[in-house]
Amino acid sequence: MKASEGVFDESVVYVTEQGTQVRTDEGRIVVWDVDGDGGELATYPTEQLDTINVFGGVNFSTPFVAEANEYGIVLNYFTENGQYRGSFVPEKNTIAEVRRAQYALSEADELAIAKAMIRAKIRNSRTLLSRKGVHGTEVLKDLGVRAENATDEDSLRGTEGEAAERYFDRLDETLTDGWTFEQRTKRPPEDHVNSLLSLTYVMVKNEVLSALRQYNLDPFLGVLHADRHGRPSLALDLQEEFRPIFCDAFATRLINRGTITHDDFNADNRLSDDAFKTYLGKFDDYLQEEFTHPYFEYSVTRRKAIRQQAILLRKAITGELDEYHPLEMTR
Amino acid sequence: MTASSFKDELVHVSALNEYVYCPRRLYYQRYHDEIGTPYELVDGRSKHRGQAERGGWTTERYFRDDDLGLHGKIDLVESGDGTLTPVERKRAESGDYYPSDEVQLAGYCMLLECAIGESVNVGYIYLYSSDQRHAIHITDKHRRTVREIVRRISDMEVDNVPPLTDNPDKCEACSARTYCMPAETAILEPEKANETGWEGHG
Repeated sequence: MKASEGVFDESVVYVTEQGTQVRTDEGRIVVWDVDGDGGELATYPTEQLDTINVFGGVNFSTPFVAEANEYGIVLNYFTENGQYRGSFVPEKNTIAEVRRAQYALSEADELAIAKAMIRAKIRNSRTLLSRKGVHGTEVLKDLGVRAENATDEDSLRGTEGEAAERYFDRLDETLTDGWTFEQRTKRPPEDHVNSLLSLTYVMVKNEVLSALRQYNLDPFLGVLHADRHGRPSLALDLQEEFRPIFCDAFATRLINRGTITHDDFNADNRLSDDAFKTYLGKFDDYLQEEFTHPYFEYSVTRRKAIRQQAILLRKAITGELDEYHPLEMTR
Repeated sequence: MTASSFKDELVHVSALNEYVYCPRRLYYQRYHDEIGTPYELVDGRSKHRGQAERGGWTTERYFRDDDLGLHGKIDLVESGDGTLTPVERKRAESGDYYPSDEVQLAGYCMLLECAIGESVNVGYIYLYSSDQRHAIHITDKHRRTVREIVRRISDMEVDNVPPLTDNPDKCEACSARTYCMPAETAILEPEKANETGWEGHG
């Protein structure tokens, strides 16, 4: 069996060149060098795109935005160094039925979905460690079982927190000399590893957000993360299973291969401009890398796997499938 | 009730073809807008215009019939003696047409009949790939099929997802496949594939 044809891998575009404009030209989308004399820097068929991520000083022509709306292309705005600023979400008119199902989820339904996500996250944590030769992680196995048996969301969160702590302790062993996770802090990033991890979580969260938006789920209505104003709880929920195998795996790879070094960080622990460009290129390559899907046994890119999980989540929410089937890597 | 809201209750003629091909695909199109835009469709749209037809001029006209429960635009070919014949243009690479195309054409003929008050027993299927026009004789069996399908489409509900198709070959070229995930569904929840063409594919 092969994965169905869907243009996923060429569907997300990053525009990082400063002083450019995204415009339309005869059914194509063109990145135009306004400040310089580079002319057309890149062109894409309009039908092919579903997300354009722009960083810093990039603007859109008005006809392009109309086109983006018509073709359902999501525009995500970031600062030049990758902080999310907001999105243009095109109007779609089939949102109602999906949202209706989402709002109608019972607490039991939500707990069942959340348990599947956390179970998978813990399983994936063990898998990442074992790939890197870290064994003796039975405590994570036990915590996975405990997550499976959780009877309410608070105890599930407690189990998840404990598992994360145990996991990062061991992940530290996999880093090359001169790097450490120490105490993971969220903000501000206190060291280089944490800065890199935080950035990667933001990048993957945006992939998850795009996937949820593409399938018209409300990213702000979570099943485990408490809904707080302005926090995309469902995106954070769906991201959980990807944190070890996609996010942490990517950040440690950049460090261990020497792609990113301590010299690449500014005084405030953020990546320098050049390093950030390198990072973005590597991140996009990473999402386009294929792996063998653990259930479907075909090759699939990481980006498409994320999209598929958004579809599977939606099918669980609309009742088309009986349960949510997270992406669980056992090897 | 306004005319426009009443129109929403009617079945669009193009849905006949979709339903015969795969009810589940039509369901996704109707309720979830997860059909994708296949290359054929984009190409067909552009080819739809300015195509010279042998044997007369074509015009596109909108028809609706509340008793029949159908509405939609139909391409008509006018022959020398003023006879109007519905035509369905197909982009199929295979140079072939399918029962679903015949059903759609029958729907056209029945709509036209209601509009002009005379029997319309012939329609054309035009294939771009071979530049051939095939005359299709519309039978009572066709007509019964159209009425039955209109009834089934009208009975569709958002909370009732039609089962996976009986013929997995149809999934190969289906633009809704990415969302539908038939093979994946058969693997994850095999019972969902019971009594469908995907049974045992898990």
